[in-house]
Amino acid sequence: MAIRIATLALSVSLVLCGAAVAGPKAELPKELPAYAPDRPLPVPQIAQKRLANGLQVWVIPRQGLPRVDYTLAVRNAGFAADAADAPGFASLYAGLLSEGTAKRDSKAIAEAAQGYGGSIGSNANNDGITVGANALPSMAAPMLELLAEVVRTPAFPEKEVKLAQANALQGLKAAEAQPGFKATRALLAATYGDHPYARVQQTEASIAAVTPERLRAEHARRFRPDHALLIVTGRIGADEGFKLAERAFGDWKNSGTASADTPAARRSASPAHVLIQRDGSVQSTVRLGRPAIPATDADYVPMQLAGTVLGGGFSSRVNQNLREAKGYTYGASAGLSAARAGGRVQAGADVRNEVTGAAIKEFFHEFERLGSEPVPAQELEDTKRYVAGGYLISNQLQYSVASQLANNWLVGLPPEFLGEYVPKIRAVDAAQVQAMAKKYYAPGDQSIIVVGDGKAVAEQLKTYGEFSAPAK
Amino acid sequence: MRKRRLALLLAGLTLASTALAADGDRWTLPVAVKKLDNGLTVVVSEDHSSPTVGISVVYHVGMRLEPKNRTGFAHLFEHLMFEGTPNAKEGVFDRVITGGGGRNNGSTRADFTNYIEVAPVSALEPILWLEADRMKTLDFNPVTLKNQQDVVKEEIRVNVKNQPYGGFMWIDIGQHAFEKWENNHDGYGSFQDLENANLKDVAAFHRDYYGPNNAVLGIAGDIAPAEAFALAEKYFGGIPSRPAPPAPDYREGLNTKEKRVTQSDALAQVPAIAAAWKMPDRGSADQAPMAVLGALLAEGDASRFYQGIVKGRELALNVEALYGLTDPWTYDGPTLFTVFALYKPDTNADAVLKAMDEEIAKVAEQGVDEATLKRVKTRMLADWYNGIESFINRADTLAKLQTLWGDAATVNKIPGWIEGVSSADLQRVARTYLTVPNRTVIDRKPAAMLAPAAKKPE
Repeated sequence: MAIRIATLALSVSLVLCGAAVAGPKAELPKELPAYAPDRPLPVPQIAQKRLANGLQVWVIPRQGLPRVDYTLAVRNAGFAADAADAPGFASLYAGLLSEGTAKRDSKAIAEAAQGYGGSIGSNANNDGITVGANALPSMAAPMLELLAEVVRTPAFPEKEVKLAQANALQGLKAAEAQPGFKATRALLAATYGDHPYARVQQTEASIAAVTPERLRAEHARRFRPDHALLIVTGRIGADEGFKLAERAFGDWKNSGTASADTPAARRSASPAHVLIQRDGSVQSTVRLGRPAIPATDADYVPMQLAGTVLGGGFSSRVNQNLREAKGYTYGASAGLSAARAGGRVQAGADVRNEVTGAAIKEFFHEFERLGSEPVPAQELEDTKRYVAGGYLISNQLQYSVASQLANNWLVGLPPEFLGEYVPKIRAVDAAQVQAMAKKYYAPGDQSIIVVGDGKAVAEQLKTYGEFSAPAK
Repeated sequence: MRKRRLALLLAGLTLASTALAADGDRWTLPVAVKKLDNGLTVVVSEDHSSPTVGISVVYHVGMRLEPKNRTGFAHLFEHLMFEGTPNAKEGVFDRVITGGGGRNNGSTRADFTNYIEVAPVSALEPILWLEADRMKTLDFNPVTLKNQQDVVKEEIRVNVKNQPYGGFMWIDIGQHAFEKWENNHDGYGSFQDLENANLKDVAAFHRDYYGPNNAVLGIAGDIAPAEAFALAEKYFGGIPSRPAPPAPDYREGLNTKEKRVTQSDALAQVPAIAAAWKMPDRGSADQAPMAVLGALLAEGDASRFYQGIVKGRELALNVEALYGLTDPWTYDGPTLFTVFALYKPDTNADAVLKAMDEEIAKVAEQGVDEATLKRVKTRMLADWYNGIESFINRADTLAKLQTLWGDAATVNKIPGWIEGVSSADLQRVARTYLTVPNRTVIDRKPAAMLAPAAKKPE
């Protein structure tokens, strides 16, 4: 809850930005100096150990910034573990972990973290929950103790649960005012049907049904050392990291029956056409998508590259077309989002009312073009360099390395995948990209969701078939 | 002149500060500065932990200095800087940077406009060539101007007109809080002013404000200062300096009477409030205390406002602190400390303000205990380091500090300034700045809440 509201204010730091965009076809000036030879890709060295209780511990020592980062990832603890009548339970639950333990109340936890020069918090995604904490190096030991306390002895105090529920209900109202929130809900339903991956947003009923008892029962079921991975990174040695982990978690025991693995999500669906009325909307929030593949599928790497060519960066095809050539939007994107038991492709842009139908046409034009023509060699090479650069850039950031490793582990990818990703991307050829586009980006397979003012846009959508108009 | 005076005021604080953090918690960035003959200042911070480099070109012009009949122009111009030059046509800029593995962006603020990149170091020379090229001249043409006018209008729709709250906590609040046009107009601009912008405006703005003497180049990452200076000289050294028009005097004092505004929001479903107080001048002895006070009151779950208003009194869903469009250190004219909150429908703006005033009064009257002050400072120190972890932010922070303070090494002084703040300092700034007369408030209510009761649906 707190996290979603924070994004309202966080968006401030992004405003007034003039994102650079330009075409892959632009001809280079003669005077432009060439790129220097690439330096080798650094691969993070991970010291790995499994404690007697099954908890995996990975330590990645780093120099630089004075900070130690911890990420505890727990499998089968996220949205996919929520009951069908409790959508979004995992986010309320994750938020309440640090709102009181057997020893400390919510305020004492927040103040302790502040005094360590860091913060502590939890986050739910489809396949798990991650509890993150960071601190100045001199406070690394007490911060891990605090993390263990939050993970092992959350109290879910009645008063905190009630307050979280009241705030979640208001937060839900605030979110309902945002067109992207409604569009996401409709697109997830169209993509995943009744699979748990469709149910990540809370409802009034699911918020109301949360009780301290239910939270405690779910905690016993979801949080277990043999379902968990602790990643330690920063100004700390491997031996010291293992020692601290053993002290904080060595006597943590499994309890209750483990939560089950998530069933596979569907890989195809008949496309839905949905127009959600939003009175007075001056833009249409357009989202397109269909089910795709889990992260462990053989198509995963070529699909990542195909998605990047199509809609992964400022110079991607959809952004070039819809923003730079047509001026329809501030930004257009497309790509693959994969989880452990399934994935989906999604594309979208917020466009002014009068070009709603035209924007969909341009998306579909780019989907088809990617499937019908091989990507030119230069564009493919530029995109691969863009992916490799992204790897280097995100590996600068300590937290980003830890969170990528944790996320890969949650979706079923091994630790080596981090270092193998760029070489694998480099090995993809134009024919594979084209095949991916044919397989997953065929326009006829895409659901179309529009949140906007029906009076202004319905006529433009007729080309694409009948649109249903749900209340939400 | 302003810069020198203010930097001197703060110099003493570093010496007065006491050791707070363990040595292993310290981080001092290497900072090397060189001014080229044409006035371009180059700042370099070397770090070989990643084979990448962050680059920032900061121009000392922002929304305060845009033409009066062209609101939103500084930002529209920023967009045009990506649209090509006679040497490098539209598309080249982005192709070279992304194709070199990099990312780039730009932003416009009250006092500066920045252009930032991060990329594998193999792309450094082409990027410097491109930055130098667009410092020399732009491709002034009606097609890209029209295209970017459309894109900027879509940006305003997506961030303002089609959003609940519409950025009132950072756009509207300044329009009410400030007296002078430079400080109180809409930096996003009116659609009419944006549409009226023409190629003559674009040429004049580039000529006046985008010369090397009005810019700072920051480079951080996998490169030695001597090599970086040589590259800067190679690519930028031949660009002649161009005189920039003198800036008007846009200083203004603190407000002497509270301003209260109620706004109706057609898209929001939950009411919200923004309360803003004018900040101390950049470089004044009150700046660091104000930054610490802001953190004590409104940053994070341990803050007084969060614990007092979201938790204790249960009036609001969240509390967020804003410092104009930047942070407590990178402004150079009147700016605001703003607190934004979504409040619950069973309470009202007065109750939220009263709760804030009570928390402020506690500090003003009793100061703050040593343990709390130490906690807040420890977290601020860590946050300062976190903010300069990435090379792109490191280069940008250095370039901005050089631009606004005249001294990039400010990056290493700020931790000491934070440490030097005492409880008495917090009392002084709470009494001076966080007063009711110096406050501007916008109460933003869903339209349905403001409509007469008779019109409500059954």
